[in-house]
Amino acid sequence: MIENPELELHPQQLIEKNKKLEDKFNFIKAVMLDIFFVYYSILVLQRAIYYKFFLDLRELPFSWLQVTVLFAVSVVIGISWASTRTSLSCRLFGIAKDNRVSKWTTEIFGWFLFDITFIAGWIVTKISIVSLFSPEGLNGAERLFSALFQPNFGIFDDALFAMIETIYIALVATLISIPPTLLISFFTARNLMKENKLSFTVYYILRIILNFIRSIEPLIWAIIFSVWVGIGPFAGMIALLVHTIASNAKLYSEAIESIEQGPVEAISATGADRVQVVWHAVVPQIVLPFLSFTIYRWDINVRMATIIGLVGGGGIGTMLMQYQGLARWREVGLIVIMIAFVVWVMDYISAKIREAIY
Amino acid sequence: MILEIKNLHKIYDNGTHALKGVSFSVKEGEFLVVIGLSGSGKSTLLRSINRLIEPTSGNVFFLGKDITHIKGEELRKVKTQIGMVFQQFNLIKRRSVLSNVINGKLGSLGTFESIIEKYSDGVYQEAYKCLETVGIFDKAKVRADSLSGGQQQRVAIARSLMQNPKLLLADEPVASLDPATSNSVMQYFEKINKELGTTVICNLHFLSLVRRYASRVIALKAGEIVYQGLPSDIDETWFKTIYGEEAEEVEIR
Ligand SMILES: Nc1ncnc2c1ncn2[C@@H]1O[C@H](COP(=O)(O)OP(=O)(O)OP(=O)(O)O)[C@@H](O)[C@H]1O
Ligand SMILES: [Mg+2]
Repeated sequence: MIENPELELHPQQLIEKNKKLEDKFNFIKAVMLDIFFVYYSILVLQRAIYYKFFLDLRELPFSWLQVTVLFAVSVVIGISWASTRTSLSCRLFGIAKDNRVSKWTTEIFGWFLFDITFIAGWIVTKISIVSLFSPEGLNGAERLFSALFQPNFGIFDDALFAMIETIYIALVATLISIPPTLLISFFTARNLMKENKLSFTVYYILRIILNFIRSIEPLIWAIIFSVWVGIGPFAGMIALLVHTIASNAKLYSEAIESIEQGPVEAISATGADRVQVVWHAVVPQIVLPFLSFTIYRWDINVRMATIIGLVGGGGIGTMLMQYQGLARWREVGLIVIMIAFVVWVMDYISAKIREAIY
Repeated sequence: MILEIKNLHKIYDNGTHALKGVSFSVKEGEFLVVIGLSGSGKSTLLRSINRLIEPTSGNVFFLGKDITHIKGEELRKVKTQIGMVFQQFNLIKRRSVLSNVINGKLGSLGTFESIIEKYSDGVYQEAYKCLETVGIFDKAKVRADSLSGGQQQRVAIARSLMQNPKLLLADEPVASLDPATSNSVMQYFEKINKELGTTVICNLHFLSLVRRYASRVIALKAGEIVYQGLPSDIDETWFKTIYGEEAEEVEIR
C-alpha cells in the first residue's frame, strides 16, 4: 500500500505548521542581518568617519582584539534588538510587530545606514571638487584634449594593422570557443542532468568551475597567460577563449534549460534514446539562440581584446599603451578614434545579424 | 487484452493524490475515451501508461507483460509500440513536416543513422504513407509551425503512426482546436482505429464527440473511476455524477 504521512495531516494544519517553521527561519535570518547591520555601522563610524575623516590618519590602526570585541558587542545588540521584533531586519523579513516603534526604527535606522554609507563612500573615494577645477589640472586636460582632437594620421597603417590583429584575436577566440562550449553546455543544463545522482554531481562540479573561471576578468586571465605563454596576441587570445567558454556555456545552458518540454516528451515517448532526444528535440530549439549569443560574444570580444592589449595581450590595446606611456597624445588620439569606430561598426553589424536570425 | 491497469496510484511529489486505485482493461481494437473534470487525473492516467511519469503503486500490463517497473532498453522497446498525441501537438517547430514525422521512427533507427539523418528510402516512403493517411501529403516539405493547428495535430498523428503503434494514446488531442477542426481530426483517429485496427485511448472533454467516436467510456472523478460503459448509456443522472450537480451539457457540433 501507499505510505504518505503528509496526507494524514489536515491541509489547514499543514499550512499552519509550515508557517510556524517559516517564521522561525525568518527570525534566524533577521537576527543575522541585524548583527551585520550593527557591526557594519560601528565599523564604518569608527574607521571611515572617526579615524579617516576626523583624525585624518594615513594608516588606520588595526587590531584583531578590537575587531573581535566590537563583533561580540554587535552580536549582543543584534540579538536583543531582533528579539524585540521591532528591528529593521524583522521588518524586512515581515516578522516585525506592527506598531509605531517598529515603524520609526525602520525609518530612522534605514536612513542612518544609507547616510553613513554615502559619507564613508565620499571619504574613501577622496572626492575633491578642488582638484577637479584647479587651474593646473584644467590646463593639462586642455593640452591633452586638443592633442586628441588633432590625431596623427602618420601612424595610420601601423594602427590599422594592430586593429586587424585585435579583430582577429577576438574572432579566433570566439570560433575556437564554440565546440567546447557546446559540449560543456549540455553537461551544465539542469533539466538534462538532474535525472541521476552521478550526472547531477558532474553538473554541480562543472558549474562551480565555470563560475570560478567567469568570476576572473579577462584582463586578469590575460595577465596570467602573458606570463605563461609570453606577452603577445596568443596570450590575449587564450585569455578571451577561456572567459568566452565559461560565459557562453552559462548562456547556452540557460537556453537549454528554457526550451519547451513538450517536444522533448513527445520524442522520448516514441522510444527514442537519450542521444536521439537531445539531438532531435533539444538541439533544434537552441541553434538560433546559440548562434545569436556567439555573434554577440564576438562583438564583446573585440572590445575586450582592446582592453586586454593594455596588459600585453597584443593588438591595438598594446599599441595604445605604448603611445600613452610616451605621452604622445596625438597618436593616442588616432588610436582612440579607430577603436571607437570599430566598436561602433561591430555593434551595428552584430545587432543586424542577430535581428536577421530571429 | 492489450492493456490492463491494476490498482494504479499516483501521488505527486507535492502530495497530490492524482490517481486513487484505478483498474480497468482494454481489448484490442477498442476506442476507449476517458472523460472527467479538469484535474480528475486523465492526463496522469495516460502518462502512467507509457511511463512519462512513474506510477506510485499498482501495475500496468501491456500485451500481457508487466511493464510497470521495466527500465532502459526494455522500456524503450515498449514505448516504440505505444504512440502518443498531445494537446499542444509538441512538434519540432523549426523542422519540416517530413522530419517531424520521421522522428516517430527514432526508436527503431540506429543512433548514428538518426544523427546524420541519412535514412533509407523505405523510411521516407513510410513517412509519406503516414502523411497520406492524415491527408497532408503535399505539406511534407514546409516548416511545421507554418501549419494551422488542425494540420499540426495531423502531423503529430502521422508521427505516432510512424511507430506502427499497437496502442495510440491521445491526451485531449482536440482541446485547442475549433469544433469543426476537432471533428475532422477525430475522424482520423476513427480511421486509424477502424482501418489499421489500432487500439485508441483518448481523453476528451466534449460529450458530443464522446458519443460519436467512443466504443467505450471511462469517467474519472478525483482520481477514481466513477463510470465504465457505453457512451450511449450516459444519461442525465450519470452526467451529474461525473461533472457535478451544477453542470449542464453544452451542445457543440
Ligand atoms: N507534475 C505535477 N505535480 C504535481 N501535481 C500534479 C502534476 N501534474 C498534475 N498534478 C495534479 O494532479 C491532479 C490530476 O491532474 P491531471 O493533469 O491528470 O488532470 P486532468 O484530468 O488531465 O486535467 P485537465 O483536464 O485539466 O488536463 C491535479 O490535481 C493536478 O493539479
Ligand atoms: Mg490533462
